[in-house]
Amino acid sequence: MILTVTLNPTLDKFYWVDRLPLSLERVEEEILIRAKKSASSAGGKGINVSIFLACMGVDTVAMGFLAGHTGQIILRDVLARGVTANFVWIEGENRTNVTIIERGKEYHPVKIHEEGPPVPARAVEMFLRKYRRMLKRAEYVVLAGALPPGIPTGFYRELVGLANEAGVRGVVHAGLGPLREAMQAKPYFIKPDVREEAEVGGLPARTEEEIIQAGKHAVKQGVEICLISHHVTGDILVTPQGVWDLEARVPLSRYKNLVGADDALVAGVLYRLVEGDSVLDAVRFGMAAAIASAEVEPKLCLVKAAIEQEMQQVVVHRREGG
Amino acid sequence: MKAHEIMRRDLSSVELDTPVSEVIYIMEQSGLSSLPVLDEEGVLVGIISERDLIRAALPGYLEMLHSASFLPSLNQLSKRLKEMAAEPVSKYMRTDVIAVRQEDEDLQIADTLIRNELKQLPVVDDKGHLVGVIRRIDLLYRLV
Repeated sequence: MILTVTLNPTLDKFYWVDRLPLSLERVEEEILIRAKKSASSAGGKGINVSIFLACMGVDTVAMGFLAGHTGQIILRDVLARGVTANFVWIEGENRTNVTIIERGKEYHPVKIHEEGPPVPARAVEMFLRKYRRMLKRAEYVVLAGALPPGIPTGFYRELVGLANEAGVRGVVHAGLGPLREAMQAKPYFIKPDVREEAEVGGLPARTEEEIIQAGKHAVKQGVEICLISHHVTGDILVTPQGVWDLEARVPLSRYKNLVGADDALVAGVLYRLVEGDSVLDAVRFGMAAAIASAEVEPKLCLVKAAIEQEMQQVVVHRREGG
Repeated sequence: MKAHEIMRRDLSSVELDTPVSEVIYIMEQSGLSSLPVLDEEGVLVGIISERDLIRAALPGYLEMLHSASFLPSLNQLSKRLKEMAAEPVSKYMRTDVIAVRQEDEDLQIADTLIRNELKQLPVVDDKGHLVGVIRRIDLLYRLV
């Protein structure tokens, strides 16, 4: 079983529009933008990973905090996708994250992200009890996404530590601060994204050379798989066995919705790892899953044949070792 | 159709030492009228429902509600619930849990729901771990 933790779930709301005003600052009157189409689905990085895995037939349980009417909608969608849900209910309302996608500029969406409800200490305690129990049944645990108010930056470090004690492989798919903290507990697999924050585990990661050094540093600290996204179509994989470049030869114009693509990447890697693939093959599949997801309007591409087709577009280049 | 094909994979539950106030809070937030009670291993050991809580607070109150001519004051119920708030759910849960297994057939599940006048049934695996819940509506939805 693969356990996923989404501490700050979201209802992802997408609007597709023909055209956005060139500059919102210049407008003096109210703006009405008519959406050609809209869609919504349960989200948050961990939930996206679970949805992908469940669709591929992998037993997966999603955990985190749900609140209010939005929480009910998220739960309903999660259950409908075949994911087992084990959430803690809190007061307030889960966040809604809005993405506006303009025709012809699909790779530059406009996003509005809410903060999410604060999590009280009592709910954290309840979560930890559930988490410890679920670890007994898990093979991997994915700790993914933003931390809601009330959760300390070092929370993922604690969760990775508990996973290690239980013999469960920890996967951290989160932003700068939470990831840096979590790395101290030696997760098995991390997926930093240096496009947003040019740093991995406290080391600068602006150039390819810096990225590789930061990846090697993470591996020295005990990470087994360090997969670093450094541009839309390229990742660098660093493991104890070597360093590889992965490049997707797909023009940006083919992308329709980039939200969720990096979650498909993590989910794709895990899916193939539990199937018994090598790390390199698993990462190739993960990257294909990310491309396939970016090429469709729904957040995730859940058609295995389409993902396998995309594997032809993924070029792997060995830099060191292997 | 088997239980695992019908069930909601919702593991909303409480533990033996969860206070009654927390149980009521979770029921209110989640919209569930009953919750499975699990031990530290995740094994199903009890069930707590709104009905169990009302009955525990005021024995005979539910029976009184059946009579339209006499509706007792809520003050007593409220006072008693407040007294129970910090007590563990294990004190009020039912331990004679009726559950089905993942491989049980729909006919057997319907029979269990009807015979025992239940709104929902927990589903457990071979080790007794909670793996889901089947509500009457889940069964009806699939039958229609």
